[in-house]
Amino acid sequence: MIKYTIKRILLLIPVLFGVSLVVFLIMRVFSPDPAPVVLGEHASREAMQAWRNAHGLNDPIVWQFIDFLKNALTGNFGTSYYTNQPVMKEIMARFPATVELAICAILFASVFGVLLGVVSAVRKNTAVDYASTILALIGVSMPIFWLGILLIILFSGTLHILPSTGRIQPMLQPVGGTGLYLWDTLTSGDFEAFGDAARHLIMPTLALAMYSLAIITRMTRSSMLDTLNQDYIRTARSKGISSHRVVKHHALRNAMIPITTVIGLQFGSLLGGAVLTETVFAWPGIGSYTVQCIQKSDFPVVQAVVLIIATVYVLINLIVDLIYAFLDPRIKYSKEEG
Amino acid sequence: MDKTQDTAAEISLSTQEFLEKPESQWKSMWDSLKKNKAAMVSLAFIIILVLIAVITAIFPQVLPHDPYEQNMTKTFLFPDGRYWFGTDQLGRDIFSRIMVGTRVSLSVGVIAVAVSMTLGVVFGSLAGYLGGKVDSFIMRIMDIMLSIPSILLAIAFMAALGQGIDKAVIAISLVSIPEYARIVRGEILSVKENDYVQAAKVIGDKDGRIIFRHILPNVLSSIIVRATLGISSAILDASALGFLGLGVQPPAAEWGDMLGRARNYIFQAPYTLIFPGLAISLTVLAFNLLGDGLRDALDPKSRQN
Amino acid sequence: MKKNSIKKISSFLLAAAIAVSAMSGCGTSKRASDAESGTAASGAAATLKDTFTYAQGADPRGLDPAMVDDGESAKVICNIYEGLLKYNKDSTEVEPGLAEKWDISSDGTKYTFHLRKGVKFQDGTDFNAEAVKTSIDRQLEPKVTDDMPYSSFVFGSIKAKTGVKEVKVIDDNTVEIDLFSPETPFVKNVAMVMAAPIVSPAALKKYNNNLNEHPVGTGPYTFVSWSKGQNIVLKRNDNYWGTKAKTENVVFKFITENSARVIALTSGEADAIDGIDSTVVSQITGAGDKLFTSEGMTINYMAYNVTSDKFKNVEARKAFSQAVNVPEMVKSLYKDYAVPATSIMPSFMNPNTNQVKQTSFDKNAAKTGLAKAGIKSVNMITYSNPRPYNSVGGQVLAEAIQGYLKDVGVTCNIKTYDWTTYKDVVKKGDYDVCFYGWNGDNGDPDNFMNLLDNQDPSMNVARYNNADYHALINKGLVTKDGAERDKIYTQCEQKAADENVWLVVSHSKNLAAYSPKVSGYYIHQTGITPFAGVSVSK
Repeated sequence: MIKYTIKRILLLIPVLFGVSLVVFLIMRVFSPDPAPVVLGEHASREAMQAWRNAHGLNDPIVWQFIDFLKNALTGNFGTSYYTNQPVMKEIMARFPATVELAICAILFASVFGVLLGVVSAVRKNTAVDYASTILALIGVSMPIFWLGILLIILFSGTLHILPSTGRIQPMLQPVGGTGLYLWDTLTSGDFEAFGDAARHLIMPTLALAMYSLAIITRMTRSSMLDTLNQDYIRTARSKGISSHRVVKHHALRNAMIPITTVIGLQFGSLLGGAVLTETVFAWPGIGSYTVQCIQKSDFPVVQAVVLIIATVYVLINLIVDLIYAFLDPRIKYSKEEG
Repeated sequence: MDKTQDTAAEISLSTQEFLEKPESQWKSMWDSLKKNKAAMVSLAFIIILVLIAVITAIFPQVLPHDPYEQNMTKTFLFPDGRYWFGTDQLGRDIFSRIMVGTRVSLSVGVIAVAVSMTLGVVFGSLAGYLGGKVDSFIMRIMDIMLSIPSILLAIAFMAALGQGIDKAVIAISLVSIPEYARIVRGEILSVKENDYVQAAKVIGDKDGRIIFRHILPNVLSSIIVRATLGISSAILDASALGFLGLGVQPPAAEWGDMLGRARNYIFQAPYTLIFPGLAISLTVLAFNLLGDGLRDALDPKSRQN
Repeated sequence: MKKNSIKKISSFLLAAAIAVSAMSGCGTSKRASDAESGTAASGAAATLKDTFTYAQGADPRGLDPAMVDDGESAKVICNIYEGLLKYNKDSTEVEPGLAEKWDISSDGTKYTFHLRKGVKFQDGTDFNAEAVKTSIDRQLEPKVTDDMPYSSFVFGSIKAKTGVKEVKVIDDNTVEIDLFSPETPFVKNVAMVMAAPIVSPAALKKYNNNLNEHPVGTGPYTFVSWSKGQNIVLKRNDNYWGTKAKTENVVFKFITENSARVIALTSGEADAIDGIDSTVVSQITGAGDKLFTSEGMTINYMAYNVTSDKFKNVEARKAFSQAVNVPEMVKSLYKDYAVPATSIMPSFMNPNTNQVKQTSFDKNAAKTGLAKAGIKSVNMITYSNPRPYNSVGGQVLAEAIQGYLKDVGVTCNIKTYDWTTYKDVVKKGDYDVCFYGWNGDNGDPDNFMNLLDNQDPSMNVARYNNADYHALINKGLVTKDGAERDKIYTQCEQKAADENVWLVVSHSKNLAAYSPKVSGYYIHQTGITPFAGVSVSK
């Protein structure tokens, strides 16, 4: 197990190196010279040269890449072309918002997805099953941003029961702490602020989780059906073990393996979907920030965000794979992935 | 956006049973697909969409109004007999704009999938057939591509190359390559040792010929399922980029872009928001249902369920 | 064994959660509002809410009055800072501010201001003549920097020998400002909310001559925090020299989407909102909220880049303007909340501009003119946010004009940026045509007409530079108010119209909405929103 873990971690190195290379190629090699974009076409040649020198863009490209890697390893992604603030500072100020939203969404999607999936597998071809199938179809077909806007129209515009934008009322905003408002307000015992933060989270979570919820429901259902049809489950049933027990102790446990994988993979689509959700709900995370930075050709920021998100995603999948190995002792640790 | 559909397809796909008689596989698939009402309705819907896209491109006269012509005296007209879906902030006919938007969305979906499928099949075949170092090298690259969420990669591309739907297509196709490569590689690994492949090797067929003549036809069905589902996610991704204002240049009509603009008018003119949203959702839904239907038709085991 | 592994997972997750919280060194956190508490609401306030939340479309560019030029900043700044003089609530007549009275020498070049005594900045330091000198000197050569867009506008330029020549401290409470030459608008300029407010010299020293994120003034509200893209929090300045503000806290919330701002109002997330357009009026009144409308001192325009190859000739500009049916477009986009512009200055300002002849809509002339000029495609840049002078935002306006030009065979390529980015993009000058507008600052005609003579390309976005026009503007500056001065500015108007430097679009009305619980809310003619008199009942 330890050997397997170490091996998996070592395998991350080429992947992360590759991601850095891809990001670097897109931003520094394929993209046009940022100097005129930042300074304006009418800027003098000298001014542009000076700017390029200041940002290390006149060095040989290989050196630039090595510098980029070296700096990235220490969490230094340079300074934003526009605000002249360290990119890392700008990102860290917004990262907790995205993390909080993504965690809430994946928890919501996993818990309800598995629940719905199990229920519809056990009660196959009943109203519950059909309802969950339809829900799953809507979930994978409806664009997140459309769903988000419809939620706003319903809950904020018509019923006036949920706030439409932002993370918390400004006067209740926690200062310091982790930046995860639910956690911060809970640990400081500020329940009014906790409630307000939770209310702000409901719609973004719903919108972001819907797609993953659908995928997880469908996956759980089909995986449960597979295991329920296995011989040993039939045997267990015929032996008179209560069907509740069968589902809980035998079928679900075995079905969990593919489900865990799907949940891990869903994190990727969640991080991508956060860009849209954050834009619709004016959620101050790195997703909406990235969209703003593209317009400005603020390459260092876009570069850093893509790299960080890819790293997070790869790490999460590593953790999922480890849990997976944990759950299923039959996995051969030497197995080559891919 | 959804690497999982691929996992789902991989898990439930088992084409082994059909390997010996590829011709009958298609007939059996069609027979079983015909029984799936949802899939057939979706197929009909998709055919209509294709017709709309083609006809409006060749004979724009069939549209009730010029989709690009603004009329500042007729802004925000409620849907009626003349303007079926109403008019937008510049007095343009929403129905006509949605019709021509079909072409944008469908072509993005089809082109993106065609590109990623082709490249995915090539890489997957090479990896699966040649094995060894080539295999690990290619699959490592696939891992790298899989680790960047597609929307984000598309956004990075647009930051670098400038905004536009064409860049969206490049980005969306690049991120989907690994999905096809994985399917093809998996299938090839499982049929490589089959008798007829071995026989072909003995006869002395070239590697490329073996891949194309003997192996690919067997993988085709799983690829088709994946491609159908792939079109739906490509359309969804492209509309998302349009919504963010990174897609088409005005006055072009693209569903996501229309929806993004309509955000400002949700009270005065909710129809500016409803119809483009419906267009995206129904199209994506149709491709999903058809993809599911194809998968069930190909996989007798899942049909039992 | 099965239970065991579930236990293992849960303990793993728990450990992870603890690790996350430990890493970030968290534990306790405070509310933003607690961080600086201590001013308990007084007894009378029991029926009043202690916070007024105002939603606007975008972040300010900054909060240093010398370094900003946009309405979003002005709305916040006018609550934190004060100038020597201020405007009457209903007009642009000047009233005493930090100066109790002022004298003007007979030749019109020496202004003596007698300052209010006992006033303190919010950082506790004293307001005095030295502070006035520091605030103005930093905006004059040699200290003035490139990022002070309004400095030359308000205080002139020593290099060009216009405006302020010297600021003299007579004693602690008296300051004398010497001008190079008499300047009629100077008194009004001193009351402006851009550049003119007096800032704390101690804060300038502390924050390296840039108060954009650390504003310190003498006004009724003190700055608390600014979360970029989200909100700015202010709290009442309890040491304020005048009538203290009625509401303890003011929150500016930034919500880009018009419709989202309306939702914020109707759902009670905001007490008042601005930047709305005619499409949401019925939604607002239907929900029982109130509308605020007043004549706006604004102009909404499209500017030709007269230095661009396509529009360096007046014929090309004229032909382009002829393609656009301005009255039809304005009626459609703004309904009753803007009037089509026939001049740069709005009609209620002096001088009367009824006689100004603008280029009018003529499709055929446009077609031949554009063909003759060889113009087939045009690069347009515009902004996405609604502006005080353009409630629908720049993109819809640009697309409407794109539609008119399509009718005469010209393709317009539109690039849209958010407002903050847009200001940077405009400065670079890579466009044939751009969209802009102006919200008057002081009611003086120079304040509008000077725009076409300004050397700063972020003010003069057409990059117009004409010697005759320059001479007119200079003459207007030294001429005393009256018929002769009016004539000069009417000539300016006609010159700008004949040269087709701008396509003038509309004069907007100020349009805002507020909850019926709010009292004392208004938008001044100059677009600023002083909140000291605003209260919100529970």
